[in-house]
Amino acid sequence: MNDLDLQRLEESDLSLLETLDHVLNRGLVIAGEVTISVANVDLLFVGLNVLLGSVETMRENLGKRNRLEESGEAGTPRTSAARSLEREGT
Amino acid sequence: MRLYAYCLCEDEPAALEAVAGLNGAKPRTIYSGGIAAVVSDYEDESAPLTRDNVFAHERVVGHVLAHTTPLPFRFGTLTSEAQLDDYIGEQRESLTAMFVRVRGCVEMSVKIIWDVDSIKSEIADSIGETPASLKASSDAEGRGTSFLTMKRREILGGEALESRAGEVAAWIRDSLGDTVEQDAVRLQPGERLFFAAAHLVKRARLDGYRERLARARVQREGLHFLTSGPWPPYSFTHLRA
Repeated sequence: MNDLDLQRLEESDLSLLETLDHVLNRGLVIAGEVTISVANVDLLFVGLNVLLGSVETMRENLGKRNRLEESGEAGTPRTSAARSLEREGT
Repeated sequence: MRLYAYCLCEDEPAALEAVAGLNGAKPRTIYSGGIAAVVSDYEDESAPLTRDNVFAHERVVGHVLAHTTPLPFRFGTLTSEAQLDDYIGEQRESLTAMFVRVRGCVEMSVKIIWDVDSIKSEIADSIGETPASLKASSDAEGRGTSFLTMKRREILGGEALESRAGEVAAWIRDSLGDTVEQDAVRLQPGERLFFAAAHLVKRARLDGYRERLARARVQREGLHFLTSGPWPPYSFTHLRA
């Protein structure tokens, strides 16, 4: 992404990206109850590592949790977010 | 009844009826042990990641932030009244510590982009890693020695890049001084967006923070700043039940 790419982004897009960066990556989490679905998502901001970073973080967290569940170390059911991510292949 | 959870507050949030939550639902407050949880009724099994939903989440939390500093939940947090009650009961000590930590503060965000390719070239020049010098050393040295030389230069180049990023981070910290209560800085020296910082700032010191940041950013023409805020203190309220 260069400065020109940034200039092409509408202010509302940057606002959305900043919001995503905050609300997806951080904040309080009740384990097993964050159930984001990315199916039919209307956001396409590939190339902006703000969102990619957030999705990666989410995948890592879900992956860790799923591994724990598969090994029987946690009793939390697999979230719909995990299922959605797997289905979408993101 | 499934609930969508937006945030926790120490005080009663004002005029929640004035703002619409996910799916247009009206947010409301439920109490557990003196802590107010802002929630709205939610019927679906998951919260789709859409522009409308993301902004609805932030609209509600932002509305609360205008009156008091909440502990925000991550987007997509679905729960029930019983689960929320258990969660608050089990985490009371940590939650109380977080309320104390962020009381009267907001989060400000600073991201910085640099031309990483130009900087890598500058660094390569400074350690003698021009294409001509690489060819000359490769011709003069044996294969194993050449490999080790290359590795050494890679390491030196990486260290120099890290050092430059660290210098920017220290410069930002110095420039903002005591207007920042706490910070959370993420450096990725090899990336274009190499610097991302969240600053916890007292509401009363926001103007001073902004002035210092404005003065600082004009000093470095090669850096492109992305600043935003005030945000709820997302970066200072991590908690897993």
